[in-house]
Amino acid sequence: MPNNMPHSEPMALVLSRVTAHFDDESAHEAPAIKEVSFSVPAGGFVSIIGPSGAGKSTLMRVILGLMPHASGTVVRNFSRPAMVFQNYALFPWLSALDNVAFGLRMAGMPKKERERIAREKLREVGLLHVERHYPAALSGGQRQRVGLARALAVSPDILIMDEPFSNLDTITAEALKADLLRIWRSYGMTILMVNHLIPDAIELSDQIIVMGAHPGRVEKIFAVDLVRPRNTRGTPFFKEVDELTEAIRKIS
Amino acid sequence: MIRSVARPLSRTWQSAHLLRHRRMWIIMSGIVGATLLVWFLNDFQNVPLITLGDAVFWTTYRLIVAYSIALVLGVTIALLVGWSPFADFFFPFFDILQNLPSFALIPIFIYVFGYTNQMIILFAVTSIIWPILFAVLTAIKSAHRDLSDAATIFGARGIERVFYYLAPLSFPAILTGSIVGIAIGWESVIGAEIIAHIAGFGSFISEASTSGVTEASVAGTIAILVIVFVINRLIWAPLLADSAKRYAE
Repeated sequence: MPNNMPHSEPMALVLSRVTAHFDDESAHEAPAIKEVSFSVPAGGFVSIIGPSGAGKSTLMRVILGLMPHASGTVVRNFSRPAMVFQNYALFPWLSALDNVAFGLRMAGMPKKERERIAREKLREVGLLHVERHYPAALSGGQRQRVGLARALAVSPDILIMDEPFSNLDTITAEALKADLLRIWRSYGMTILMVNHLIPDAIELSDQIIVMGAHPGRVEKIFAVDLVRPRNTRGTPFFKEVDELTEAIRKIS
Repeated sequence: MIRSVARPLSRTWQSAHLLRHRRMWIIMSGIVGATLLVWFLNDFQNVPLITLGDAVFWTTYRLIVAYSIALVLGVTIALLVGWSPFADFFFPFFDILQNLPSFALIPIFIYVFGYTNQMIILFAVTSIIWPILFAVLTAIKSAHRDLSDAATIFGARGIERVFYYLAPLSFPAILTGSIVGIAIGWESVIGAEIIAHIAGFGSFISEASTSGVTEASVAGTIAILVIVFVINRLIWAPLLADSAKRYAE
């Protein structure tokens, strides 16, 4: 196993030599991801970082079963996945409350109960006051929080996040990161996040998977041993950032 | 050196400004309307208003029925095809069908249904359905992949995907397809009435033209314009405004 996490831990996800092609790509062309292997421990916070073209989003889609993979094995030890998207992917025809309640509605939950849960989740992300607003009337940060509330509403055992901070300004991103860590601790779920900012990855994650591009592949897996809550202004943090940056520089 | 100072406008001034414009529109419309009415009453005394009303009623009735059928059929087919993995297969097939000149098909409709109401309605359906069907199919095909993924991840599968994801996703497309479809529908119904010579606005203007009663044709055109204007203001404009508000990025 390329993973340096102890194998005795229960794993939420195990990928073994997974290769996948883009939807519109023929099997003869270079794959989007090639022979990708790693595992994600249950309850862990794992980040994937890599350059554009590393197939990170394709990898997320393969993990969630949204697209087939050509070879290899994906072992999914989770039953209730949820996802937070880079572009929010909120349904524009639904209010914030109805967006959050969408997964519960699909699960057949009665209206009163699902609205109660949706309100609870909106309160958790600090957006109860915009429950009747449509996504078009919300700011980028608010949309991302509604997206997070929508994911939390289905009580996920794994939360996949595809560059959740990349469309947000620094202040909003910082606030959302703090919320995310609080929610992760209180829910105890597994988080797998695609990211392209090294400091963010080190601040949030237990483990960082570095991917290379063309084709997308796992280059290295780092364990982050800093104690939580992490001091992002301390020397150990900057040391970790430097080490990872240097490692990525060598890889690229 | 200060060249200008911008001051905020008070709400009272703003609403008064808008009101002034609104009043101006009402006054202008009233003047134009009154002029037209006087002109209409003087110049259109010879127009058989009951016959004209009857003709406009039948044409509008046929259009509404044809549009309703086309809407249900077009949206259902588009949603089912868009839902299935065979959308790419059906697209060129529909493209060929919609390219057939609809008036070339009218002898077939007359042969099958005779000179009847059903013939005109079903003929109009074949021309109204395409803009609706293509608008919905295109909306489904061009939807952002993340939105489709979100629907799948959060459980919109099977027939629920059609009701809770594809149908609401297609609403703006249904709207624009309907507006274009209705416009084509007027032409089809009126054209079919002229060709088949069945009671309606088409046969009314046809008869008025051949018998040299030009005022009757003009009066009929004004009546149709009024109906189109009312439908636009009462139905399409509010729906378009709502759609633009909700579906804006």
